[in-house]
Amino acid sequence: MNAQVLAIVIFVVMFIMMVLEKFERHHITLVCGALVLILVFGFAMHSFTAVRQTLNVESIFTPTFWVGGADEGTSGINWATIFFIAGMMVMVEGMGKAGFFHWLCMTLARAVHYHTVPLLVCFMIMSGVLAMFIDSITVVLFLATVTVELSKILKFNPLPMIVSEIFCANLGGSATMCGDPPNIIIGTSLGFTFFDFLTNTGVIVGICFIFTVIYFWLCFRKGLKKSEAERPEGIVYPDPKDSIKSKKAFAASAAVFVLAVALLVTHAQTGLSVAFIGLFIAALMTVAMLLTAGPAAVKHIYSHLDYKTLLFFIGLFVAVGGLEQTGVLDLVAEIIAKISGGNPYIVVAVIIWFSAGASAFVDNIPFAATMVPVIRAMSETMGLDIRTLAWTLSLGADVGGNATPIGASANVVGTSVAAKEGHPIGWGKYCRYCAPATVLVVLISMICLFVKYI
Amino acid sequence: MKKQIIVTIGREFGSGGHEIARLLAERMGVKLYDKELLYELATHHGYSEEVMRRYDERPVNVLASRRVRDFSNSIEENLAHKMFAFIRKTAESGESFVVVGRCADYVLRERGNVLRVFVRGERKDKEKRICEIYNVSPRKALEMMKRSDKMRKLYHDYYSDIKWGDTRGYDISINSSLLGVEKSVDALLAVVNLMQKQDEE
Repeated sequence: MNAQVLAIVIFVVMFIMMVLEKFERHHITLVCGALVLILVFGFAMHSFTAVRQTLNVESIFTPTFWVGGADEGTSGINWATIFFIAGMMVMVEGMGKAGFFHWLCMTLARAVHYHTVPLLVCFMIMSGVLAMFIDSITVVLFLATVTVELSKILKFNPLPMIVSEIFCANLGGSATMCGDPPNIIIGTSLGFTFFDFLTNTGVIVGICFIFTVIYFWLCFRKGLKKSEAERPEGIVYPDPKDSIKSKKAFAASAAVFVLAVALLVTHAQTGLSVAFIGLFIAALMTVAMLLTAGPAAVKHIYSHLDYKTLLFFIGLFVAVGGLEQTGVLDLVAEIIAKISGGNPYIVVAVIIWFSAGASAFVDNIPFAATMVPVIRAMSETMGLDIRTLAWTLSLGADVGGNATPIGASANVVGTSVAAKEGHPIGWGKYCRYCAPATVLVVLISMICLFVKYI
Repeated sequence: MKKQIIVTIGREFGSGGHEIARLLAERMGVKLYDKELLYELATHHGYSEEVMRRYDERPVNVLASRRVRDFSNSIEENLAHKMFAFIRKTAESGESFVVVGRCADYVLRERGNVLRVFVRGERKDKEKRICEIYNVSPRKALEMMKRSDKMRKLYHDYYSDIKWGDTRGYDISINSSLLGVEKSVDALLAVVNLMQKQDEE
């Protein structure tokens, strides 16, 4: 009982501290993780087994961690997620350094002859598709920056495009296993493949995406058309080629990206784990950049790596491990089971709306990490298919983050880029467009889940 | 050629800090970077005056904002950093100037040629000044004073590790009720002149 109370107190304090942002979030999770190890497992439980299971270091040294096994350890630090995210960070930094994203945005803008309404649709699709394979922060960072750049040249208000790009990046990320961190956590914890996500959440996201594009098109087309009609003559349009700093580095980074996508799509067939793919792609990108852009480029990539996020994940997994080892999450699962009365429709509705509501205000990563053991316990006690619960959690956590400017990391980055350039997007402006769209998408997702899985 | 001197002025609402800054800048023969000039400059960088009036020198709402790497969704924070960058850039250009508020004492903390001033005042004097300037009742003046000082404190302390008004963060803390605005300016100008002379020596 003492251990449970301690674990809950540490977890709640961790969440409050993260919201208040008095300290960096990786410091918060690491300190809370250490407190779980010392106070909960050490003093309250006297269990070295709990420490060992939560740190989960042994799993890295098992062959199935790298090849041939889809399943990650059942509790504690999800090292596969950490390795994969680290690898993707190296790849994305390399691509950014080579000018890939800037070139892609400018090429698409030229392809639609710089007409703003087709550009809106085009950037929404690109945002969604890129976010399926690359973290949504990077996608939004590059897209929002280029959008502001284009808005200065083409004289339009970038707000509608940035808001749509953010929404589509979060939506696209929920389509695949590697698109959004909650999906990586869900996938690696429950042993799903890239293809599992693509054929389940991916299909539902595809349907939602059509509605989303129509929704934002209806919201913004008039304003964008008007600004295009008022566009002054004699504009010098940018050349996409100017984005490429080194042709060799550009080609190499694009090739590594294509290979990464191929490895991810086929990892169920090849048996390669996402941890292996992450590490392999990082090594390949490092060699490619070393040969094509020199040691300075490699130094740039590694100095820009977001190691704080990796440390944040490690601390977070330990703090969640505290709740798991003490049985708190089993209690949560029992409570949800009682509320739903075992009715799968109610279970799906509760999980998706609760996940979406929570993710709209708190970081969806700790939320998903906490909920994975809960749905696992629910599946065991209620006899529900774990896959249905996993897709429900994934869609709720990923899409719910769209509702507010603080719901997902991509929202913060996109609104920050806009504000820095003199286009502030406050809660009112953001929620006016994105909150109804989020409700719409969650509703469509729930209906799809009802129809397909229950 | 005179050496660069920058004066940063933090102030309590109603203390006459802005007036002191204006007169000091005038007598030093340098620009005064206050709300008006900073707003004008910001409009050249794409910010509307409405945005400036709504979000400039306002505290960050921690519950409604979130930080990811170096990014924050808080408009107040993004605008504050824009102001800080502008103050730093102006300081680096070698220009002498007087700047009011905007956490300038903290932003320019590592520069040697900066005089950091905090202007405070007695409550009754501040109340009287507010009533005269804004044509409000003493009760309303007190309300305005409390609200504005709270905002300024929250704004300053969010970015600075030294508290607003704490003497350790300033070179001079002056009570405008003691000497009045004109003589406070004389006192500050004397310090500025001594700084110039010290530099020349």
